[in-house]
Amino acid sequence: MTTALIVDDHPSFRRFARKLLASAGFLVAGEAEDGATAVAAVRALRPDVVLLDVLLPDTTGFAVAKELAAGPERPLVVLTSSRTASDLGPLVETEHARGFISKSELTVAALAAMVAEPA
Amino acid sequence: MRAVRLLVLAGGGALCAGSAVALFHVDQPSIIQKRGIVEFTAAFVGIAIGVLVWELRPESRTGPLLAAYFIAAPLSEGSWIFWNHQLPVTVAFALEFVAGPIFAHLILSYPTGRLTSRLDRAFVTFGYVYALAYALPRLLFFDPRMPHFRDVETCWNCALPYTHISWRNVDGIRSVFDWLLLPLVLIFLALLVRKLVRSSPGGRRVVLPLSLAAFFVGVQFVLQIALYGSPANSWTSTRWFWVVTLASLAIPVSLAAGMLWGRRARSAAADLVVELEHAPPGSVRDALARTLADPSLELALWLPEQRCFVDGDGRPVELPTSGSGRAVTVLGASDAPVAALVHDPVLLERRALLTAAGAAARFALENERLQAQLRLQLEEVRASRARIVQAGDEERRRLERDLHDGAQQRLLGLGMALQLARSQLVPSANGADELLAEAETELRAALDELRELARGIHPAILTEQGLPAAVRSLAERSSVPVTIVGLPEQRLGEPVEAAAYFLVSESLANVAKYAQASTVRVCVAKRNGHALVDVEDDGVGGADPGRGSGLRGLADRVHALDGTLTVDSRAGAGTRIHAEIPCGS
Repeated sequence: MTTALIVDDHPSFRRFARKLLASAGFLVAGEAEDGATAVAAVRALRPDVVLLDVLLPDTTGFAVAKELAAGPERPLVVLTSSRTASDLGPLVETEHARGFISKSELTVAALAAMVAEPA
Repeated sequence: MRAVRLLVLAGGGALCAGSAVALFHVDQPSIIQKRGIVEFTAAFVGIAIGVLVWELRPESRTGPLLAAYFIAAPLSEGSWIFWNHQLPVTVAFALEFVAGPIFAHLILSYPTGRLTSRLDRAFVTFGYVYALAYALPRLLFFDPRMPHFRDVETCWNCALPYTHISWRNVDGIRSVFDWLLLPLVLIFLALLVRKLVRSSPGGRRVVLPLSLAAFFVGVQFVLQIALYGSPANSWTSTRWFWVVTLASLAIPVSLAAGMLWGRRARSAAADLVVELEHAPPGSVRDALARTLADPSLELALWLPEQRCFVDGDGRPVELPTSGSGRAVTVLGASDAPVAALVHDPVLLERRALLTAAGAAARFALENERLQAQLRLQLEEVRASRARIVQAGDEERRRLERDLHDGAQQRLLGLGMALQLARSQLVPSANGADELLAEAETELRAALDELRELARGIHPAILTEQGLPAAVRSLAERSSVPVTIVGLPEQRLGEPVEAAAYFLVSESLANVAKYAQASTVRVCVAKRNGHALVDVEDDGVGGADPGRGSGLRGLADRVHALDGTLTVDSRAGAGTRIHAEIPCGS
């Protein structure tokens, strides 16, 4: 079973995302509310997929993605945000993440498609 | 104090007149009589001027010093005319060398009467100690009848001072003191030159006549010592008569000349009036500095509302306190000053010039003061406008953040909940599926509107990624194709970036609404410490910057940052919006 880590500073989003990921067939291994906790959780839990919010209290999702890509775990990172891709500019096209899904577009199908698509 | 001064004047006068009259009743060569007349007349003029200066400038010690010198000098020198009387001989022995240090004290401390240089103070103190230390052995042990006593050539009839105890051979002491005399005079001359070199041009003008006279006196003294061994021995020389006469008269004459010089103040002030007539604003200080010949002059303008003195740029200034080596002259009434001059204290000696120049500059200063006040107010308005814009930006940023963290997150959660609910419905649940799908569509629209609203309030991308990313995102969303010609590589500072962003954003919105353009060119650049923002379209033109709150608000924003905004929009020629905002180097 594919394991997942949810990184977001809003508890309500984490609660719903956990249910959504579970219904999409992921095993949610843990949650993190900021960048530092996220990196530590990846080292400890070694998830296959990280659903990573772009705007975190201590850093940005882009920076966390870059750090994770440099580590040994190299999980598959999906960036997400309540803002749209055009709000965030060219940074969402980072090579350190598989892709970006706006939170309002975050569905089981969209997530499954992005995880399944070849790297 | 006035009684003391009158006493000094009357006593000095009586002494001089009495001595002059007595001259003709003693058996002396006519050359000595003539010289005595000159000495006593000069002394009386000197005492009178000293008392006058003392009266006019009670805070200066010059007056008393002057009177003291012109009492001590003839008393010590002139007493030798009456060498066969005990009293004059005693006085001569006591005061013979005191006049010298008083003279040095007077000249080196002129015009304030206070010695400011430590070197001058040490020298004058040493002079007084020398005079008193030398007087003591002379009073007690010297006998003018002894052959070694060379002060007067033939003195077999000389009287002994009252204080004479017994004759001792004090040649050793005497040669030490006599040997010191010449170096002391030379040091005095050096200190005098130093004083002239170190004073300001205005100060030099004040002290020059007296200094030249003092220099002349010092030099002729040195020559007398060199030629005769002692100045007293030159008394009977006809050759020296005119030199010594000139020297005696030089001091009172030069003092009188210095005082009369103040009369030139009126014409200097008249020149100043003419000069100020054509002077550009802000040049009053320079004109005053030239008229008063004090390059160090500072001008402080009084602002009655703020109740403080400011400089020409409207910055508050502290006036120096007494003892700081600077003097302050306040122009205007004491309860309603116009300005203050901070200047070399020596100018206080030329009070007439100071007053005349101050009066002449009065209107120009009034004008300058209004300008300073205006500049100060402008600066305040400018600063408060910038603060208001900045506070507005801050508030908008906070609102956007609140919307994002609050309502938007809840709506997003709701969307996911709807999605989950739909996935868990059994098929054909009485149309609930369609209803949920409809709710989701509705919710998405609400989210889009909310996001648009938040973006309008303050773009998150600007805060988080800076101007280039924000402008690119604007270009992407624009309905009219946008060509980005250039974007700055370095950050421009938050207020400037916000202004540039809103300028581009509002301009693009106007292009979409009114311009009927096919393309827009956007350029933001940093050049010479200015952010340059250009938005140019090829549409119908005819935009009026005076109408509509959009462009007006943008202009206000740009002006708040000391920038300029120009709108060039002739009908049929497209619209070009150009802003320049200072953003530091």
